[in-house]
Amino acid sequence: MKALQRRTLLTATAVLATVGLAVTALPAQAAEVGVTSSQIKLGMTLPMTGTASLGYNKIPGAAKAYFDYLNANGGINGRKITLVVKDDRYVPTEAVAKTNELILKDKVMALLAPLGTANVKAVATSVNPARRGVPVLFVNTGFSGFADTKKYPTTYTVLPSYIMEAKIMGEYIKENFAGKKIGLLYQDDDFGIDALAGFKTAGVNFAVKVPYASGSQGAAAAAGWITKFKAAEADVVILFGVSSATSAMLGTAAQLSYRPQWMLGSVGGDATTIKLTGVPAGVLNGAIGFSPVPATTDMNDEYVKFFSDIYAKAVPGSAFDLNVLLGMNTAFMAAQALKAAGPNPTRKSLMAAIDSKGATFANSALVPAGYSKTSHVGLTGYWVGKYAVTGDLEPINKTYVTYTTDSGSGAVVKSTYKRPAMPAKGLPN
Amino acid sequence: MHKSKKQSTHLPLFILGGIVLVILSGFVDELRVYQGATIAVYVIAISSIILLTGYSGQVSLGHGALMAVGAYAAAVLRAEFNLPIILCFIAAVLAAAVGGTLLGAAAARLSGPYLAGTTLALAIGLPSLANQFPILGGEQGLAFDVGFPPLALGEDFTQYKWYFWIAALAALMSMWSVRNILNSAYGRSWRAGRGNEVAAQLAGINTARSKVLAFTISAGIAGLAGALLAMTIGTVSPSAFPLALSFSLLTGAVLSGISTLGGVIIGSVILVAIPEIADVVAHRLGSSESVTTNLPGLIVSGLLILTVLFVPNGPVEQHRARKAKHEAAHKSTKK
Amino acid sequence: MQLLNTLLIGITAGSIYSLMAIAFVLVWRSTRVVNFAQAGMALLSTYFGYEAVSRLGSFWIALPVAMIGGALFAALVELVLMRLLVKHASSGPIAGVAPIIATLGLLGVIRSVISMIWGGQDLRIVAPISNNGFTINGSTLVFSPLKLLVLVVVVVLLILLSILFQKTNLGLALRASAHAPEIARLSGVRVDSVRTLGWALAGAAGAVAGLFQTVNGNGNFSPDSIDFSLLLVSGFIAAVIGGLDSLLGAVLGGLFLGISISFVLMYLSSGLFFIAPFVILLIVLFVRPQGIIGVKAGRRA
Repeated sequence: MKALQRRTLLTATAVLATVGLAVTALPAQAAEVGVTSSQIKLGMTLPMTGTASLGYNKIPGAAKAYFDYLNANGGINGRKITLVVKDDRYVPTEAVAKTNELILKDKVMALLAPLGTANVKAVATSVNPARRGVPVLFVNTGFSGFADTKKYPTTYTVLPSYIMEAKIMGEYIKENFAGKKIGLLYQDDDFGIDALAGFKTAGVNFAVKVPYASGSQGAAAAAGWITKFKAAEADVVILFGVSSATSAMLGTAAQLSYRPQWMLGSVGGDATTIKLTGVPAGVLNGAIGFSPVPATTDMNDEYVKFFSDIYAKAVPGSAFDLNVLLGMNTAFMAAQALKAAGPNPTRKSLMAAIDSKGATFANSALVPAGYSKTSHVGLTGYWVGKYAVTGDLEPINKTYVTYTTDSGSGAVVKSTYKRPAMPAKGLPN
Repeated sequence: MHKSKKQSTHLPLFILGGIVLVILSGFVDELRVYQGATIAVYVIAISSIILLTGYSGQVSLGHGALMAVGAYAAAVLRAEFNLPIILCFIAAVLAAAVGGTLLGAAAARLSGPYLAGTTLALAIGLPSLANQFPILGGEQGLAFDVGFPPLALGEDFTQYKWYFWIAALAALMSMWSVRNILNSAYGRSWRAGRGNEVAAQLAGINTARSKVLAFTISAGIAGLAGALLAMTIGTVSPSAFPLALSFSLLTGAVLSGISTLGGVIIGSVILVAIPEIADVVAHRLGSSESVTTNLPGLIVSGLLILTVLFVPNGPVEQHRARKAKHEAAHKSTKK
Repeated sequence: MQLLNTLLIGITAGSIYSLMAIAFVLVWRSTRVVNFAQAGMALLSTYFGYEAVSRLGSFWIALPVAMIGGALFAALVELVLMRLLVKHASSGPIAGVAPIIATLGLLGVIRSVISMIWGGQDLRIVAPISNNGFTINGSTLVFSPLKLLVLVVVVVLLILLSILFQKTNLGLALRASAHAPEIARLSGVRVDSVRTLGWALAGAAGAVAGLFQTVNGNGNFSPDSIDFSLLLVSGFIAAVIGGLDSLLGAVLGGLFLGISISFVLMYLSSGLFFIAPFVILLIVLFVRPQGIIGVKAGRRA
């Protein structure tokens, strides 16, 4: 009897001890990857060097400017946001390699604003953030495919898609330029193909379409484009390319005294960037432009004033242009999402926060965001403006008229969205 | 009269190497496993350069384009016909080899810089061609999905490990093949043609045909590397095959030793490791934004120059040369 | 009208390719090396020119400053890098590849250093004369005083350099040092100095190419600008088309390339921008493997 009792006692002690060890070995609170009690780490990949980097390489500085301001004012529930940036030179193999480093080595909580359709796609298939549960927030591309929640369940877009933009342009043309000859300059890749689909839905017939190979948009190429548009006698010419294409086109047009009615897409339409390349303000004057966020020169807008003040202090001497505004806006939205994710944010709670509250996140855009439990679509439209005598884009008749639509066959409607006021001191509430 | 020793194929060595790699992959974290797959891809691609440039003496600045041909062939077959992966890879080799034959035929009449210029133009032009044909997916690319690892390998077997196994297996097989090709009569005829074309012709070697053959085989191998590259990133798009890739292959070949197959692994590891190390160094030393952004590029380019100047024939060859000198010195003192 | 403009666009682009091609040919003729860092040197010279314009206010002073700067830098590269290369890597299969790799590395180094010193953002040089197109009967031609100037500069350079190579002792020394260095040395030619001179001339030509390329557009340039990336490849292909041995070939090659690409883009599709040079090169080399004015390698039996 005694032996049995001793054996039972020993076994019981052993069991209790093991359970006790296991219990005490558990961390007091399950920490999420990339989140500590003092820090939240986010990761970004984009071209910082190389021919595709022009303009975009200002985005990290812009985002960090906002995050630094935020961190100096208490961060998110006491945690500072750290942004790890890696240069992928716009090559998908490097995007994958650097994203692997961000997720597996730097162990970031989420990916923020990765740039480039081909790159985001490669990361989606190779790194597979969806399977790893890593949120991919506010991708920096207008490719409509990324809103597909079945294919990209953890990905959220922010920029209106190229299809949306083309449809809105098409609507504006129908209202104002019916019967005129329309010409289109487009980049022969994801950009352009998405746009062509949108124009088709909008029922726009082009008198002349000029594709350009991405990477070839210099002055010599521009002279060729203009010759084609002249030959087709286009009245309205839509420039649906990147900034370097727009600058080349407008600069060369000035030299050749070519003055059709210009219509600039938002991607290549930033007035500050274009003017810095030497295009005279007079050339831009009268062109029609689109943007989802307020004009970067509109100092009456509280967001523009707030962001440009912070940026001027953080990166003195650098022009506040559309890339900077969008970069800071994205950082702002990320901060809102992290705040809404709760006092102990996890990747799941972050995504749940965007799903449930994303549509109401404060941000500078003048059009609503479409986040919901079934949609990861971000901004859904644009306002239409005209470039003034100064060459800056301004709303027509000083009032922002916004249009919204979807990436499918939905109609283009004039939006009645009223942007809520900016939270106090520009900090997430 | 010496009887020429038949070079053994060293097959058991390669099999052993494979087993070691399989075991290693179980202990290494995912990031390194992925890099291992990338290294395997470079090993294959660089060995194709060594064959073409080191042995056959023809400089190609456009092997990135040949990789693209293989990658697109594999991706299109997979996307349109859902062929099993092994067939896709074989198709990649064949498609690229055909491209290589055409290129080689054109190149047979061209020497040194003229060949370099042609291959350079190819490297830039060919990938952008994909934007002209919708079936090739345009700039956003075609997905290339090799599928999940077989369930037999267990629940925890990650996708990257699967990529590594496939790539490593392909690398071992292609290395073994390349080694045997280089040691064969073909290899000898290439070396002969490279050294002195007229003498080779007098010796009965059809140098033109041998050069085209070199291009064909080299291209096929590059095509395989391209398909494997597409596998690791899951897509093919023109931007995945920039001019810089062709330059990297040449760089890797120089780092490995342009005419020694043995150093390929060293060259490939350096190619993959340097950007990461440069990044770390840059952040350690970096003061301003512009310095940290540009320091990695500077380090890589600087390393390239230093290697060409001081280790021009690669570390393996350098070591052999030093040993030979040492032995020669020994022999003369022994007298 | 469209036809005329297409031709003029091609001539303008071609004249800039020619400038670059001249630089490649100069290096090849004097040292039998392809210098891939040529565009990087042209870029650096453009930055020198920018500094000169900012401080001295005149493009016409900046041009010679850039040329001298470019020449000095190129000479430095030849003295330091190329001599080492010849010493260490001139035998075996590496010999063909070594200069390519070394100059590629140099290209990367130059770009990175420029970015670190001047930053990656766009800088501007304003054109010295009008770049607005000539107008004939109310329609504007794609040709301007500036573009005419570039063409004139190309022709002048061609004539001056040809005279140098063909009619002077220095030119003879340059040619001899490239083709038969040992014999030249025995004849008393300072082969090494002469080779450095060849590189210096190329550096100056590259500087001209870089500056005019920049002002011919909207005057913007940066380490990553598309125009300079294209300059490297187009210049090299133009040199190959013309036959690496001939300066006249470089100019003809450049013009031929510029005009053909212009016609392809205008009448086929402007998406073919990158594939056109390859096809054009292939066609030319198929008909004449040594380029338009190249010299067929004689039998060395």
